[in-house]
Amino acid sequence: MLQILVYGAVISSIYALLAVGFTLIFGVARILNLAHGAFYALGAYGAYTLTANAHLPLWLAAILSVLLVGGFGVLMERILVRPLRRSMLAVLLITLAVALMVEQVLLLIFGSEARNVPSMMDVTYHFAAVDISGQRLLALGGAIIVLICLWLFLQYTRIGSAILAIAQDAEAAQYMGIATDRMYSIVMGVSAAMAAIAGVLVAPFQTVIPGMGLLPLVKSFAIVVVGGLGSIAGSIIGALLLGFSETIIAFKISIEWSQIVSVAAVLITLVIRPAGFFGKRGAF
Amino acid sequence: MKIDWLAAVLALAALAAIPLVFTSSYIIGVMTVAVCYGMWAASWDFMSGLTGRDNFGHSLFIGAGAYTAGFLNVEFGANPWWSLPAAPVIAVLFSLLMGFPTLRLRGPYFALAMLSAATVMQNLTIIFSVYTGGQDGLNGLFPILDSTLAYYYLTLAFLAASAVLLKALANSSWGVILRAIRGDEAACQAAGINVTFYKIVSLAISAAIAGLGGALYAHYQLQVGPDLFAVVLSINIIIMVYVGGIGSIYGPIAGAIFLNVLTETLRGLSEYRLWVYTLVLMLILFFLPQGIMAPLWQRLRARLA
Repeated sequence: MLQILVYGAVISSIYALLAVGFTLIFGVARILNLAHGAFYALGAYGAYTLTANAHLPLWLAAILSVLLVGGFGVLMERILVRPLRRSMLAVLLITLAVALMVEQVLLLIFGSEARNVPSMMDVTYHFAAVDISGQRLLALGGAIIVLICLWLFLQYTRIGSAILAIAQDAEAAQYMGIATDRMYSIVMGVSAAMAAIAGVLVAPFQTVIPGMGLLPLVKSFAIVVVGGLGSIAGSIIGALLLGFSETIIAFKISIEWSQIVSVAAVLITLVIRPAGFFGKRGAF
Repeated sequence: MKIDWLAAVLALAALAAIPLVFTSSYIIGVMTVAVCYGMWAASWDFMSGLTGRDNFGHSLFIGAGAYTAGFLNVEFGANPWWSLPAAPVIAVLFSLLMGFPTLRLRGPYFALAMLSAATVMQNLTIIFSVYTGGQDGLNGLFPILDSTLAYYYLTLAFLAASAVLLKALANSSWGVILRAIRGDEAACQAAGINVTFYKIVSLAISAAIAGLGGALYAHYQLQVGPDLFAVVLSINIIIMVYVGGIGSIYGPIAGAIFLNVLTETLRGLSEYRLWVYTLVLMLILFFLPQGIMAPLWQRLRARLA
């Protein structure tokens, strides 16, 4: 029981990190970023290559990797997404093309076998008959801290208010003198960095393979639909729901069936309440 | 209109003549695969090209059709001919399951739900390896026809039949409604058109042809694997549609055959297939949003007429 609670919390926090970034860029810039999973994979591989090949200490490798991926996100927004932003299909296709490219590049450089990233906290804690590795706890704590930082950034900085203003009404925000294009780049960078943080945090206890980004993308989408597209609070609640129901099913029935949860959740939500928990009806 | 059908007949004759000119079984094989892709691209275009509701998981229907053929043939030892009616039925069931919740809504739900469903199905085929053979898939399907040449003509006949059906539907009042949905869904609704019904039935037609193509492909490869559900397959199909020219039905078929033959001809390229395709996609998105084949044909036709 306690085990379900702890593992569920860890998974949910990582899902929340991914889904909040995914929903942020959609809510602000109306960009559905199918390369979101690629950022996650790049984060994990960045941490791997910077420790294994460049022999940097792990904490430095992790920070560098996150910054690099954030920069990559900004570049992608500027060069590839911005010229095509008028058409949603074109944006979907171009971000998907980026996702495929990233996977191919990783495959070319690192090969298809799984890579091991060393643990940042190599200890195991015992709580009342539950073993939990330090890395998982670090992932949980790190995810919560990042989410709180994001909330503070959005609520209490000028850029944060500008971003929230664009999310409410991009045109009005532009009339008020907010440089919307620059804000889109910033948000894409933040969103990419958050996905990379998730990748760095889970890399030590996940299999690091080039195709690792696809499933997180699917999960993020499911969470965001359950929570309501564009709503940050909704995606955190959606992440908790999905994370815990997957863990419960994995423990009580079998790990195989937990894979179906996300798609079932999407279909059920769309039938019962298409706007999700916190989404506005008819927002699209 | 007449010149379109004439060109279609000529193209079909050319496709039928290819194995007579190049008699190697390798070329017949390449062409059989290309024809299957043609069916997939045309069926994608019928639903997504006409209504503008982009399907990012067309491989869901392809995989469903192919695995239906695989199960019937390998697990139950059914006559391979049964795959051809059974595969579209199963694919249509999948399309209804996906279409009812997602197509009522505006926004990106349909595109992403299809992407997710296809990915999850791919994972399920690997997870439930006891029944599906896991990563190796199901092997040992029987060929429908013993001669590969005869089988090529069978798939080509199915492609021609699907193309005629889809093109006729696209040119009928049905197609007009689908294009109107693409233009302004709210206006269609206001005019008393049940847009959800039209979208779901179109998806079902699209799924049936994709599933049939999947079964034909399975009985050519004599093997089905999880890759038939892969996102990459869906994307390849979308790229072929884009190359051909979205919304024209015949363009995507030409695009599919062209890209398949291109990557096979440039032998060195087939390893970098995905690179070539992604590059082509980016170029088209930025510079040729109308595609290549359909605009070329429009220009040629204007000159002929």
